[in-house]
Amino acid sequence: MVDEKKLQEKARETLIRDDVRRLIGWKRGTYGFEAAPAVVTDASQAEQLIFDATCVANPASFIAIEEKKPVPRGAEPDTRKVAVMVKGCDSRAVVQQLVEKAYAREDVVVLGIPCLGVVDRRKAEKLFGQTGAQVSAKVDKEKVALDIGGDVKTVDRSNILMDKCLRCRYPNPLVSDFLLGEEVEKWADDDFADVDEFEKMSPEDKWKHWDEQFSKCIRCYSCRNVCPMCYCVECVVSKLRPQWTRRSTDISENTVYHVQRAWHLAGRCIECMECQRVCPVDIPIMTLNRKMTRDVKEMFEYEPGVDVEAEPMLACYNPQDPEEYIM
Amino acid sequence: MSEEFEPNIVAFLCNWCSYAGADLAGTSRMRYLPNVKIIRVMCSGRVNPLFLLNALQQGADGVLISGCHPGDCHYLEGNFYARRRFMLMRKLLEHVGVDPGRVNMSWVSASEGAKFADVVEETVAKAKEAGPMDQFRRRQINW
Repeated sequence: MVDEKKLQEKARETLIRDDVRRLIGWKRGTYGFEAAPAVVTDASQAEQLIFDATCVANPASFIAIEEKKPVPRGAEPDTRKVAVMVKGCDSRAVVQQLVEKAYAREDVVVLGIPCLGVVDRRKAEKLFGQTGAQVSAKVDKEKVALDIGGDVKTVDRSNILMDKCLRCRYPNPLVSDFLLGEEVEKWADDDFADVDEFEKMSPEDKWKHWDEQFSKCIRCYSCRNVCPMCYCVECVVSKLRPQWTRRSTDISENTVYHVQRAWHLAGRCIECMECQRVCPVDIPIMTLNRKMTRDVKEMFEYEPGVDVEAEPMLACYNPQDPEEYIM
Repeated sequence: MSEEFEPNIVAFLCNWCSYAGADLAGTSRMRYLPNVKIIRVMCSGRVNPLFLLNALQQGADGVLISGCHPGDCHYLEGNFYARRRFMLMRKLLEHVGVDPGRVNMSWVSASEGAKFADVVEETVAKAKEAGPMDQFRRRQINW
């Protein structure tokens, strides 16, 4: 794991630079199993930055959604860089944003952190209940040691880490200017067994499942707001002219909302699982996204967020693409 | 009410090939099923998959997207993009539990009036098999 002192030192060094506007990382949350994302603008604040297994949030979500305020007359626009700390999965979001030209490579300073997995709040709360204490966590290849307000508990990795970490293929950042800490060895592979399992269900059962899940949706749009790939200035679901989906929370509009969200992430979703993590009503959103990821990989041999030089999946084609259903 | 279920099909036809193909079917007095409601678009690449969702919401039981044969697109590559999109959309809807037979795509050129009639027949047959689309159709709310 990365040494906190070294991380803060590097952050300070980065923030002192004239060409860096701010740094996005993590700080200790007020309570609970998740660290809070932190935006730091001054070098003196660098000591609040941390990294451990509670740092679940994806800082790459905050790079591209900055509000562009009008520049006062006579003033120059702020073209300084944004520094961002990324884990392996977060770095894929940066890569995919670069592929889509959300910003240029020279507009970001990426501080990469090799990661051994992060704690799933839901799993932790199931084991230890909700806590009002601040939690820190150390993770190694076998165990996770949680420090819940001074009370240290050791748990097996598979019982507490996020599902994405148990099948993580990119623990090391794919893009980084500085690497904080030693590179780690990959420990798992992804065989999409969960997607296969779901596909065995009959269409009726599938719809029954989704009917139940989508009916819960309160359309808070947390999943959209937290998503690193959802950085459109005007989102299709907020648009009124044309109004694609109505804002009422009935099964029809909810289904269309979730289907179109999964569709807009087809070939772009980098599986940071943020959408599912923030969902207040526990809708398994990743089931849809992972289906898309699997199909895109199988049919078009494309994997998002890996290669900065790649073309976006739906902006290119192969004349030999499958078309078995076309009459 | 023992009438057979007659599905509504919304067909998005490209201006240059499929619409002309449908036109040819009409001018050559071929019979094709009247369930299909045709919407002319400039290219199959114009069809946003959200059109499809919207059609299913508003009462369609099946959707047909038809364009020029690959390589014959008036805009050179529009149908290649459409092919990728609808391939994925179909898989996604299948995952949600919507019968994949509701999403149909075909290549019909301007000279293939007879093929258009066949395609419509097949589309309607598939939609009939899938039954009325009642999964996420918009319901009238009585206040």
